[in-house]
This record gives sequence, C-alpha cells and structure tokens, in this order.
Amino acid sequence: MSSAAAQHLPRKESRELLGHEGAVLAVRFNRDGNYCLSCGKDRTLRLWNPHTGALVKTYKSHAREVRDVHSSSDNAKLVSCGADRQIFYWDVSTGRVIRKFRGHNSEVNSVKFNEYNAVVVSAGYDRTVRAFDCRSQSSDPIQTIDTFQDSVMSVILTKTEIIAGSVDGTVRTFDIRMGRETVDNLGHPVNCISLSNDSNCLLANCLDSTVRLLDKTTGEMLQEYKGHACKVSLNIILVFFEDVLGVANASFKMDCCLTNDDAYVVGGSENGYIFFWELVDAPVVASFRAHSSVVTSISYHPTKACMLTSSVDGSVRVWN
Amino acid sequence: MGADSDEEDFVVYGTPIEREEDTSARKRRAIAEAGQLRALPAWKQEVRDEEGRRRFHGAFTGGYSAGFYNSVGSKEGWTPQTFSSSRKNRAELKKQSIYSFLDEEDIKDMGGNALETSQQYDTFGFTAAEYARKQASKEQKERPSAIPGPIPDELVIPTTNSIGVKLLMKMGWRQGRSIKDSHADSLYESRRNARKAFLALSDVKNDKDQDQIDSDKPSLDQSVVGSFDEMRASGSTPVHVLHPKQDLHGLGYDPFKHAPEFRDRKRLQKSRERDHKRNDVSGRGILLISNSGHYAPGFGIGALEELDVEDEDIYASGFAYEQTEVDIEPSKTSDGNYKLDDRKRGIFLSFKIASNSEYKLERFPSPEIPVDFDGRHKFPPPAQPAEKVSDLAPPEVPPPEDSTLRLLIEGCAAMVARCGKHIEDFYKEKSKTNPQFHFLSGGDGCSYYMRKLWEHQLRYTGQPRPVDVKSKPSSDKLTAENRGRILGERPLDISTKPQNSLSAKEAVQLQSNLIDTFVKPITLDALPESEKPFRNDPAKQARFEQFLKDKYQGGLRTANVAPVSTMSEADRARERLDFEAAAEAIEKGKEKDIKPSSVLPLPGLNDQRFISATQLESSIVPQDERPIYPRREQFEWRPAPILCKRFDIVDPFMGKPMPVQRPRSKIENLIFMTESTMGTKDKEESSSRSSHDASSVAGITEAEAQGTTNDPDVKLSSVQRPVDLYKAIFSDDSDDDTDEIVNHQPVDPVKTSEGANMALNRLAAEDFLESLGKEFGLEVPPERPNVLFRSETLSVAGASVSSQNEKVATTYMEVKENQSSRGMVEVGNANEDAPLANTGKLDLKYEKRERITEENSSRPLHQQNQNHSPDSDSSSERHRSRKRRSHHRTRSRTPESDSSTERHSSRRRKSHSRHRRARSRTPDADSPSDTQHEERKRKEKRRNRAYTPDADSSGHEYKERNKSSSRRSSDKDRSRKHSRHHKHRRKDHAEYS
Repeated sequence: MSSAAAQHLPRKESRELLGHEGAVLAVRFNRDGNYCLSCGKDRTLRLWNPHTGALVKTYKSHAREVRDVHSSSDNAKLVSCGADRQIFYWDVSTGRVIRKFRGHNSEVNSVKFNEYNAVVVSAGYDRTVRAFDCRSQSSDPIQTIDTFQDSVMSVILTKTEIIAGSVDGTVRTFDIRMGRETVDNLGHPVNCISLSNDSNCLLANCLDSTVRLLDKTTGEMLQEYKGHACKVSLNIILVFFEDVLGVANASFKMDCCLTNDDAYVVGGSENGYIFFWELVDAPVVASFRAHSSVVTSISYHPTKACMLTSSVDGSVRVWN
Repeated sequence: MGADSDEEDFVVYGTPIEREEDTSARKRRAIAEAGQLRALPAWKQEVRDEEGRRRFHGAFTGGYSAGFYNSVGSKEGWTPQTFSSSRKNRAELKKQSIYSFLDEEDIKDMGGNALETSQQYDTFGFTAAEYARKQASKEQKERPSAIPGPIPDELVIPTTNSIGVKLLMKMGWRQGRSIKDSHADSLYESRRNARKAFLALSDVKNDKDQDQIDSDKPSLDQSVVGSFDEMRASGSTPVHVLHPKQDLHGLGYDPFKHAPEFRDRKRLQKSRERDHKRNDVSGRGILLISNSGHYAPGFGIGALEELDVEDEDIYASGFAYEQTEVDIEPSKTSDGNYKLDDRKRGIFLSFKIASNSEYKLERFPSPEIPVDFDGRHKFPPPAQPAEKVSDLAPPEVPPPEDSTLRLLIEGCAAMVARCGKHIEDFYKEKSKTNPQFHFLSGGDGCSYYMRKLWEHQLRYTGQPRPVDVKSKPSSDKLTAENRGRILGERPLDISTKPQNSLSAKEAVQLQSNLIDTFVKPITLDALPESEKPFRNDPAKQARFEQFLKDKYQGGLRTANVAPVSTMSEADRARERLDFEAAAEAIEKGKEKDIKPSSVLPLPGLNDQRFISATQLESSIVPQDERPIYPRREQFEWRPAPILCKRFDIVDPFMGKPMPVQRPRSKIENLIFMTESTMGTKDKEESSSRSSHDASSVAGITEAEAQGTTNDPDVKLSSVQRPVDLYKAIFSDDSDDDTDEIVNHQPVDPVKTSEGANMALNRLAAEDFLESLGKEFGLEVPPERPNVLFRSETLSVAGASVSSQNEKVATTYMEVKENQSSRGMVEVGNANEDAPLANTGKLDLKYEKRERITEENSSRPLHQQNQNHSPDSDSSSERHRSRKRRSHHRTRSRTPESDSSTERHSSRRRKSHSRHRRARSRTPDADSPSDTQHEERKRKEKRRNRAYTPDADSSGHEYKERNKSSSRRSSDKDRSRKHSRHHKHRRKDHAEYS
C-alpha cells in the first residue's frame, strides 16, 4: 500500500530555478502553492512561479543574507528576515519595504506571519522570539519571549500558538489562549520544526540526525526518523561555509516537513539527499540525491504532489 | 556767598577737584558702595540697578511698589496676552533674537554692538562652504553664465576657508606656511620682504601663483596647477593636495612606503620634468629644487625662504640625498640637467663632484655549482649504528630445554633490547666465568638469544619509532646511562651481588626489577591501618610497604632489595607477586573511587578502597535518573495584550495584575484557601469523584461536627474577619512572612486566646478595615448597624436584604448561574477566590469587582481545565457542592443570629462567623481517609504535571493548613500582619484599583 502511494512521491525533477548567487537558504510555497519564494546568501528574495519556472520578482533590500521568508495568506505582503537583524515587511507588488522591524540583537533565523497577517513572529540567534505588530507604525516588538537557552532556529504559528524550536533542545509552545508555555525537551538541538497538516503533530529536525515526531497535545514522542545526515553541528557548517563563502555566521537550517497528506515525512540531508519516511513505521521509503550540496530547505505543495528543495549550491529545484 | 568773600583772602594754587554735579547722589552712593559690596559675602550683597535702587526684594520687604514697579509694570505683575483670532491673524513665525532676552541695561552694556551669530562662523568650515556655495549660486543667478544649465554649478565648487584659516591669514599666516612663528627676527623679516619683492618682479607666472596663494580662494587643483605651490607647500604645513595617479604601479602600491623622504624627491623630479616640458626654464624653480634637498621634514621653513642659504641650515636634516640613489625611474635628461644646474649654481662651494662614485655597483659572478652537487640535503647516518635493528630476522629457534636458562636468556634479551648493546657487553664481561652466560658469547642457546633479542628490539623500536621521527636528532645520543645521569639515578650495581649466587632466578628477578624501571611517581601517604594487607605478618608488611614506597617513589627502582636470608628465592618471588597484586588492588580501589567522586580530594587510601554502599548508590542513582526525552514541562506565560488582540484571542490574563512569585507563597495556600481553589481541586479529581463524593460529604459533616464542638474555643481564639481581605489584597506575601506564620502556628494553642487578646485583635482588625475602606474610597458605615443588619440578613439567609446587598448578591448568583450552565469551573489562584457572600459591605464591593474579572477570564480557563480533566458531569457536581456549601453556610450562621442584641457579642459573632466560614470551606479534607486519598492523588498529579503549581502547592499545604486552621491566630501574628498590611496597603491598593 505504502509502496503504491510512494509512487506518487515527487521524485522527478521537473524544473530548476536558477538565479540566486550563492546558497539558497529557504524556499517556501505561498499559501495556495502557485508561487514560491526563495531567499539566500545573495541578500535577495525571489518570487518564482515554480510551475513555469518564471522569476516573477526580485526583492532587494537586505543588507546581509536572508534566512527565511514567509508570505501572507492574502499574498499581498511578504516578511523576511536575515543576518542583518531586521525583519523586512514587504509589499509584494511594488517590491518596496513597508516596514523594518527591529529588536533582534542578532541574526534572525525564522519568521512567520500569523493567521490574520497582523503579527509577525520571528526567532533569532539572540535566544528570543519576538512578535511584531504589522498594523502599528512601531518597529519595536510587541512581545519578546526570552525563555530560550540558546539560539532559536525555527518558529511556526498556529491560530493560537507560537511554537519555536531552539538549539537548547527544546520545542516551546506558547499558547496565547491559555497563557501557557509548554516546553518539550528533546535533549538534542532542534534545527527546524514543522507542523503536521492536521496540527496535531510536531516534527522536529534535531541535530543528532534524527527527525522526531511529537504529539503536540501530550508531548510524547511518536516516532523517530533516521537515515539522513544532519549531525554536523551548525558550528561546523558555519566554519565550513565561512571558508567557502567568506560569510561569517553562516549556519544552515535544514528543513523537514510532512507531505500534504501527512503520510510521509520529508527531510533533507547534508549530502544533498532527500529522504522520505513513512509516517507511522518510519522506514525510508525513498531517498534520492536532489542536490550536490546541503539541502537547506524543503517546501511541500499544499495540495499537489510537488516539492521544492533548495540547496547551498544555489539552485532551487521543483520536483513532481 | 560767604565763601566767596573768604576766598578773596586766599591764593589758590592748582585746580580744585571737580565735583561731578551730573551724577545723582544715589548713583554716587551706589558706586561708592560697589567697592564695599564686592567685599561682602555673596549672601549679603544686594543687586541694584543703575539708579542704585534695589530691584530684588525678599518676601517681606519691598511692599506694593516694589512688586508693582519691579515687575513687568502691571497691577497683576504681568499682562496676560490678549486674544487674537487665528483666523484673521495667521500665526506668524516669531523670530526670537537675542534682544528678546535682554533688557535695556544689558543692551546698554553691550555698547551698541549688536551681537549675532554669524552664519559664516564655523570652526570646520563646513557651513561656511555651504554659505559660499549659496552665495555663488545667487551670483550666478544674477549674471548669466557662459555655460547654461546647472552643470557649472556642480563642477566648480566655490570654497571658502574655515574661520580658523581666515583668522590665521589675518594674522599673517599663509597657506602652506608653518603656524609656528620661527622668524620673529626683524632682520630676517626685512630680508624676506626684499626677497618677496624680488620674486614679484622675477616672473609673471610665479606672480600669478603668488596671487593665488595669497588670495582667500585657493584653487582646488593646487597640486595640478604647478610645482611651485607644491614645493612651497611641502615646505611646511601640508596643504591638502590631490595626487592623481601617474605612475604605473599597482593600485595602492607605494614604492616609498618605508622611505617617505624619497617620495618628495620623486615628486620634485617629476614636476621638474613637467616644467621642462613646458619650457618654463626659469632658473628659479630649478634653483629651488636644488635647495630643497635640505628641507626640513617638519615645520619651520615658510614658503619663501628657499633662497636663503643661511636659512637652510636651520632645519637642515643633516644629510643630502644623492640624486642618483633616490631615483627609482631615473630619467637621464633631467638628471643631467639637474647636476648641471647644481654645478652652475655652485651651491656646494667647497665640494667637487667626485670623479668616481663611491657607490659602485659591484657585480659578482654567480657561484659555480659543483658537479656533484645535489639539490637535496642528505642527513648523515646516525651516530650509533648499534641501536639500529637488524632488518634481517634471525631464524626462529626452539627454546633451550633448561627453563632457567630460557628465562635468563629472555630477560637478558629484553634488557639488552631496552638499554642497548653496551649492556650486553657489560654482561659479557661480568659473567665471563659464569657458564650460564655463555649464550652471550656464542655458547649454548646463542641462536635463541639472538632471536629473542631481535624480537625485543623490534618491539621496543617499533613503539617509539613514530616518536623518534619527530624528536630532535640530539636525542638519538641519549642512552640509558645518559638518561640515568640526567635524572640522577644510581647506576645498577650488579657487582655487589655475590658472583656465585647468580642463579637464573635471580637474574630473572633482576630483569623484572629493571623492566619496570620507571614507575609513576605517586605521592603515597602513610598507609592507614586498615590498608595493611599483611597485618598478621609485620615483617612482610614492612617489606610490602617498602615495596610500595619503591613503587610509588618513582624513578629507578632500587636494585638492592635487602635479601632476607631466611627466604628462599621462590618465596621471595611469590611474595613479590603478592605485593604486586596487593598494590594493584589498592590502585584499582583508588581508581574506582576516583571515578564517581572525582570532585572530592582523596581523603586516604582507605576510603578509596572501601566504598560504602550508600555512597555507591548515590553515585549510581543519578545515572538511573537520566532525563528521558522528550520531557514536557509547562509554565505560565503571559502573552502581551496586544498580541492577544492581534491573534484575535481573549487575553487569558486580562485585567489581572502581574504575578509576583505567585505559587510560591505559602501563606496563600495555608491560610487563604478558598472556594475557588477548592473547586479546582474538586474538578481535577473528577475522575474518581463519584466514589469520592460520598466520603467528602461525610467529611463535611464531620468537619461541621468538629466545628460545632470546637465552637466555644474558636470563638474566643481567633478573629478571622480580616483574613479574606488579607487574602484578597495581600495574597502575594513574601515567603519569609509565611515562614514566620508557619512557625508561630504550632506555638499558639487554642488556650492562649484570652478575652483581652481577643478584644485587642478585634480592635486592630476593625481599625484596619476602616482605614482600608477609606483607602479604597469606600464609605465604611458605623459598626453597629452594619453588624445588626448583617446578622439579620444571615438569619433570613439571603431572602430579604438591603437593595445594595441584594444587587451584589444577585450579580453574584448570576455569575454562578452562568458558570454552572456552561459547566464552568472556577479555576484560578487563591487570590481570586470567590468567598460566598461576604459579610462586610466593603468585602462585598470588592468581591463584586473580583467576580467580574473572574467571569471575564473564566472562559479560557475553563477550556484549560477541560483539557486536563475532561469532565462531563462537572456542572452537576458543581451544583451539588455549591448547594452543600451554601446550606452549610446558612446552617453555621443561624445560631449566631439568635443573640444579636448586644454589640459586643454580635461583633464577636461576626468575627467568628467569618472564621467558621473559612473553616467550612475545607470540609472534605478534615476526614482522614479523604485526606489520604487526596494526598495520593495529588502526589500522582504532581508527578505527572508540574505545570499546575498553584493547585499542587496548595494541595501540598492543604493538610497542614487544616491541621493548623483552628489554632492559627496568635495576637502576635496578627499585630505583625497588621502592621505589614499597613505598610503594603498603598502599593496593593494601586495594583488592585
């Protein structure tokens, strides 16, 4: 059964989106999956149509590498963050920066819009998660969460929660409705977190080369997925890429995500491989070499069997 | 005039002192006093105007006129501004000048000199430049320029000098000149003037340059304009010049980086070349160049001093540059010209050009490479070839039959392999007569010996080889003897041993002694008593200790282990083995101990060897309790209100003050246990509720019974009235308070409560209530009617009450109804408890507020609760419990209403009723079985969920509280509390309002 379903996994490269100079650090589908955004070391954001391969627009304003980008649900705004410690709030059509949110004392690793595109929540190397108000003129955060012990690598938002994964080995869920902070200590640095489509499970890519699936409500570990290589600590990657690219503080978040039907877990590896694990039993159902170098980001199409991967080699590839 | 008549008789000499008729007397006095005043201390001096009037007065001096005249001059002291319509008179920009702040006197003092900030004043010349640009643009507008459009404006930037430069120029300084006035000499000055005149006449072009220099507008491209300026500029203060890149060096490459003095040379030469090209053959420029071979590196020489030879000497650097050396890219023509010029000028009068230069470039032929030269360096072969291992392995030979001989051979081979060939020679020589050592000299077992030796050598050289590669070649020469000498070891003296007793066994022993020649030096303390493994044999123990000493002493082992005559060789060997084993055991014990308790310094070998069971356990336990991941913890987290708003979520903490160490306060849980927390607990235990309920009901009845039996005592003992208030307001007391209270609770028995104490307490409490009410801005009605009224209310059990109370009660009931209909649970901290209808009016008011806030925030809380303990019949449970409680309340109060005639008693009752209520709030816990059950459950809960600290901690203290509830209030406690409350009241009031 699984093998039959596994046939539909996007393993065929349909297109390569070239344009970024230097590593691509993140690639994200927009909400409906018609467009995608990529950002990278070349300090630009690029808006593509991944299905045609057309580069729609390039957004330049960041002073340093751009680490994460997210588009609002109405596709009107973008938010991006990077090593220049600022969060840029863009207008998609004009390509202008509407606002720059300041407050982070260090590089910003991840940024997300909330459900209503009113708040931007960012996670930074300065061990904080900060929430910024898009509707006010102020560029200061409306809330700062500083309970983390180490760099916060990834943040995701649900309707009522802010979930962030940190290098201190914890995934912290901040429930705004209940006023509770839930700390799930995984014991290993968390590189990236991702939410299942039913929002019941949490996927955490840890630096011990393990992707862990947690039950969000109880916090128990449901499954571990192994086989890929994600154990080189950020620091080593950092040193390596400092040498190669001459950019200080380069660290790559390596994404993991679930397929849109929550049947498989997708993860990237340091050697350029993409791994598919079966969700329940955790065998590797498919793995193939997608890139020649570290796979930095994976984005799965919200509805179709389509996947985007980005890599340090500067390419974004579309898989069908 | 009588005086006139008198004057006729006198002859007047001189002129009389003219009297200042025009000055008024006052003024004169003022002037006269001025001197005096100045001598006075500051606080005695008076301020007077030019008329000598006092202008400033104290509060009681001066009077009306001073106030009137000395102020602005109106009756009010100032005239309010009249209204002017902003519609008609548009607000014009009022420009304040310095005169707005000066009165006539000050202006007069200024002497008509207007004071104003100059636009041109600027230390750095920036604003001035701006100003100049503006001026220029203005001018340009006025007269049409040759090139139309804005381009020339951008191209030609008019500059002005900064004020500093201008000032300096006014003072005689010129561009490029030193600031230091080095030539104050008048003779020098005149000479220079003469020279200037000469210069002015000499050349037209130079004249132009001169103008340019002297004018206030130095051109930007000074460096480009000409060498002359440059030369002069280089004479002293550096003028900022732009150097266009003219050489063919790489960008940023500076050939004169470490020899800056040559740079100027080079430049001069360049410029001279240019001059030549321009056919500007005025001798002066060249002349200058030749002179400035001696210019000073620093300040000192001005722009025009070049002509004077005397002047040159002043700052002569002491050496002249040889032109040929300096030239990096020598150009023949210029060089020749230059020298020619020099000679023409005859500057170096006493010198002649040397016919042969001293600096001859000597060229040596390249060395001849020998034919047999090899590009690589070959290291000489090692000095001691004896050490090298023969690559050729001797054939494997079966060992000789004699085991002693075999042992001897093996030991000897190991020794030789270790220490070198010379040992073998040594042995050979020493044991010539010994037949057993014949193998050394090619006798019996020689081939076996060779084989063994090779093996050992291989083993020994195999190990250190990688090390040797790195080590210095000098270490090659380090033999065992050298090393021994360096380390100050005693050489092995084998010869002391009797020759004849040299048996094979002894040889083995010797070898074994030598094999572990070097032992690690461990400071070994004196062995504790229990450490002696050979306690029964003191002699052996002594030997063992000696052995240990040897072992741990480090360095070379002493070879002369005093042989005990009584012991056979075999015994000794066995003993030695025993010793080794014992030492090893000790060491192991030590190691074992070191591992777990690496932090502690080793107290002694004893502790290391014998580890207590508990210690072991403790060292193991943390390993067992390794955290199992993932681990979940929960904490309270406060989202910002704006965040909640933006997420479209009701703020769970809306209207609640920031907690100050919320769950840690024991006082909350100990004393201020309330319905809300109770409710929470009930809720949380809902899974086993049905079975639990009956028992809790039983518990209530029991508690009630106890309460009734205890009533007389309790009535006397404690004034409980303000407790709710305390709790409500001062719920976050610090921990130390709690500790005090906890400490005092057991001390204070019921018996100590005497009438006097009670009265005192009551008075204090009432005072406090009243003052608190005032603080809150609430009216506190006189005591008696309120009490009477309340008792009345209580007797009717809420049926007919005053309008206010009714209202409050109804709202409260509404809240209740809402909650129950929604299956609401009161969850929260102790400070937001909902005491059932409070007795005090003040309490009620306060309560209402509390209730409202709770109602607002109860929705999310409810959800939270549902999450944790989904309970379907919670509402009904709730109903039941509430009913029970209310019933109980009424019951407990009814007896009091009987005797509501006397004020005193009523007051007492009131306080008591309060107490009763507090007691009755925790009924189910009074039954012992219930408590146990609850405690068990709570323990489980605590283990499972660390995130409900409020409820948990309260649960934790729950039993304790019940125990101590009846004997809680000592008057000491109360008075302390009271005072503290007074202290904190303001803060808390602010917080809650």
